Amino acid sequence: MLESTHQPTPLTPESVRERDREFAAATLPLMPNVKRYALALTRNESDADDIVQETYLRAHRYWRSFDSANDCRRWLVTICRNAFNTVHQREGRAVAVDDDELESLAAARAHNAARVAGVDDMYSRLDLGPAIQAAIEQLDTSFRDVVVLSDVEGFSYEEIAEMLGIPLGTVRSRLFRARRQLQESLMVYAIDAGFARANGVPIRIAAPVGKHDG
Amino acid sequence: MDSRRSECEAIVRRLWPYVDDKLPDSDRERVTRHLEECADCLSHFDFARAFLDAVHAASTPAKEDDALRVRVIAALNHQGLSI
Repeated sequence: MLESTHQPTPLTPESVRERDREFAAATLPLMPNVKRYALALTRNESDADDIVQETYLRAHRYWRSFDSANDCRRWLVTICRNAFNTVHQREGRAVAVDDDELESLAAARAHNAARVAGVDDMYSRLDLGPAIQAAIEQLDTSFRDVVVLSDVEGFSYEEIAEMLGIPLGTVRSRLFRARRQLQESLMVYAIDAGFARANGVPIRIAAPVGKHDG
Repeated sequence: MDSRRSECEAIVRRLWPYVDDKLPDSDRERVTRHLEECADCLSHFDFARAFLDAVHAASTPAKEDDALRVRVIAALNHQGLSI
């Protein structure tokens, strides 16, 4: 029988304190980031606070398994997402997606449609912040996960694949599909809000915005 | 012209990976060269970038939240954190 070379260090009160100090120093400064991510998941301040607390409790319990060579923010965000999934009993529903190249073509078509509708300069003319947040909130969870981690939190495709436990190709197709859905929502928003330029072809996707001043 | 159109389509098929800087070098150069001479494709790429910039700008900044910090540390202490 081989004897394990990896004997766990015996826990003394001092080593526990030392470990807790390391935990606090590494994780507490990241709380604003964890909170922002939790808010993106819950869209609700008080639910987000609950998720942040649960994230830190779990992180503390698992701290011994965290390899300090890894990115602590990524680790916390992964725990946060798992905590959210447990609390909200979310199912990671798999959705069929088109291939990446077709999604890229769709982005060009979205631009053409925006041109035709006279809203192709909407990003420079309008403050779309609230509309973008609402549109992200309405995405299917599997798409929202990827777009929030990539385009809001700034993780790479590779990091996201690891965090979500899905293949790289799936990250790409979900991300591009999510972007397409966001682009479509924003165009509808800009048109509905009456921001189409006069020279745009007046296509109506939803009911006309009332203009009763004539 | 047909070959022109099919080159445009091939370029646009790489839009998101290009914007995300995920293309292999040779592909990236091909797209860059095309965009230098094709205003129509360039406008699609600019629109896509403007969209991503807007999404990024829409994210709320990560804010300090003292009340939450106090609450989380109290919960951690309750779980046995010794700081």
